Amino acid sequence: MVEPIIQLITVIGGTLALAVPFGLYIARLIAYETRPLERTLSRVENGFFRVIGIDKNRQMTWKEYFLALILTNGIVFGFVFFVLLFQDSIPILSNPTREGFTADLAFNTAISFVTNTDLQHYLGDQQLTVFSQMVALTFMMFVAPASGIAAAFAFIRAFIRKNFGLGNFYVDFTRVIITLLLPVAFLSSLLLMFFGVPQTLDSSVDVTTVEGRQQIIVTGPVSSLESIKELGSNGGGYYGANSAHPFENPNGLSNTYEIMLMLVIPVAFPIAYGKLLGAGRGVSILIAMLIGFGFLLAVGNVAESGPGALETRFGSFNSVLFNIASISTNTGAVNSGLIGMAPNAVVSLLLAMFVQAIPGADGTGMMTMMVYVIITLFIVGLMVGKTPEFMSMKISSKDIKLAVFIFLIHPALILIPTALAFTTGNAQALVGNDITPLSYTQVLYEYTSAASNNGSDYFGASANTPFWNWTTGIVMLLGRYVPIALMLAIAGSFTVKDRKELIEPIKTQGGLFIMILLIMTFLLTALTFFPFIAIGPFSM
Amino acid sequence: MKKGMTKSENETGGMKGALKPAVRVVIVMLLVTGVAYPLSLVAIGQVVFPFQSNGSLLSVDGKPVGSVLIAQEFASPKFFHPRPAADSASAVDPHITPEDAFSQVTRVSEATGIAENPIRTLIQLNIERGRSENLNAFAPDYVNVLKLNLDLMEQYPEEYAEFESRAQDSR
Repeated sequence: MVEPIIQLITVIGGTLALAVPFGLYIARLIAYETRPLERTLSRVENGFFRVIGIDKNRQMTWKEYFLALILTNGIVFGFVFFVLLFQDSIPILSNPTREGFTADLAFNTAISFVTNTDLQHYLGDQQLTVFSQMVALTFMMFVAPASGIAAAFAFIRAFIRKNFGLGNFYVDFTRVIITLLLPVAFLSSLLLMFFGVPQTLDSSVDVTTVEGRQQIIVTGPVSSLESIKELGSNGGGYYGANSAHPFENPNGLSNTYEIMLMLVIPVAFPIAYGKLLGAGRGVSILIAMLIGFGFLLAVGNVAESGPGALETRFGSFNSVLFNIASISTNTGAVNSGLIGMAPNAVVSLLLAMFVQAIPGADGTGMMTMMVYVIITLFIVGLMVGKTPEFMSMKISSKDIKLAVFIFLIHPALILIPTALAFTTGNAQALVGNDITPLSYTQVLYEYTSAASNNGSDYFGASANTPFWNWTTGIVMLLGRYVPIALMLAIAGSFTVKDRKELIEPIKTQGGLFIMILLIMTFLLTALTFFPFIAIGPFSM
Repeated sequence: MKKGMTKSENETGGMKGALKPAVRVVIVMLLVTGVAYPLSLVAIGQVVFPFQSNGSLLSVDGKPVGSVLIAQEFASPKFFHPRPAADSASAVDPHITPEDAFSQVTRVSEATGIAENPIRTLIQLNIERGRSENLNAFAPDYVNVLKLNLDLMEQYPEEYAEFESRAQDSR
């Protein structure tokens, strides 16, 4: 008998209990304040800065910050692209049964992981060497969230005070990996091993089963990938079955822990924001996210999912809870087949990806939420006839244009390729000529997942064709870097603005603000996407 | 001031200047997160959690017969059968629901000659084991098929003698 209430209280309570210290720590990273063990930490960091060859005190403009981010990500992409392409020629931790990826699949996979999406058009347990899983994918699973978190640091700094500076990308990137992601992932890996996740360099063990058959059990350094997969909003599984595979998620406790791991950093961000920019504001954003999350959970549990395509050890509630936590944080891991999710659960998952900010991915979720705040202030400002202001700064028409563009690029990146897939016949090639609400939903879901850098999908390796690899690859690329560039541009605009010590014309905290923000966010999303949900999961 | 400006121009001056720290940070992080991190966890895992780290293998007479976490095919009517691979998400779901397990009791009993009640007791013990593994609240009730079958083999060696020898022959 599942005890959904205990499960839910543990997840929400545990996440909040962890998110408070995480948030306070992140605030210290953003504002360069003294942390616990500061001396040791800064000595280690300074060592890294020396090797990398940067001056940690040099501030970057938003353009320099973005350039450094895109260069770093670009180099990582290039490296991984070639590793995947030639993995059969790499002699270390190799496997003769694993071929090199085709160019389109290597492009898709490298883009997918570097953009924090982790859409997988391949089966990791059958197509990757241990070397690729470790040196290519696990590595990228640190790079991607660290880039998003660093960008969010720069974004939040813009509001602290005039000319505080946006920071230095390399400093933030290094500090996030070395003093946040790495230690937490390390300890979490140990815990996951305790629960039963393997951690070995052997790619498989052969056994003779009880009835005398030969069975090949695929193992590998799973635990080290699994922890950062969840912590870093990544979501790409070691196995094709992702967190449904018993080696990635062996029991109810690992399931609960993995859910908290996915939620902790996205939920910590509003706490960090509150610490730096006013506790009321932070708590308000946090409550808005929690209400939004509760709404998704309620919709997802209206009808029971499964039992087909669900794992026995999870059942309906634990599967829906995991998947909603995962997809709302844009992690994109799943502990069941999406095909086993009830239509109401699919609506909930799509909504989460349309909004991208309840709580959203590590770093980018918070930035997206602040874009909603800016748009909300603008619309409400128009309604009451006041100049929109945020943190006592005027929101200029340029800021609004950037914010609206960030909002609009999302449906464009989802709906145009979806239409393209159907008009060119490539969708039909995958889902069949008879287009049903389910098959339409599957295609819509694929591009929604790619555009929101989520990574969950219905197709998996069956979408490994040039059309799907290239188009989803391009959508992931634009869905990641265009919003980040525009958000940093907004940051660049705010950081030089004068602050007037006036009472905010529209308060950015409190019950009324939370309500307006939530209504605006869901209303804008619903207006944009409702027709497509209506002919998709609503009709399933 | 002037000195500082020159330095900053050097760092941003041209693509080459901007590329250098990017390349270096990638190499450093690759070594730390892609090599040192997983390898050190392998080293610790092999010492601290050798059973789990190597795939949670169960052995009969010192020979591994499968992983407790990975379903294996059971075709003989004497054994409990896992879910058909296509029904689960992982295709290797090692568990079945209690209802599924109880529905197989009559078949196992008829094939082995073991009375139904002791088989039911074994199922119940397995359910209890699953519950305590999940602190009684974090998972629905389930039965691990391989563990249940190995329990049967251990308690009724004569009824399952053919399988012990088969497992040994093929080695």
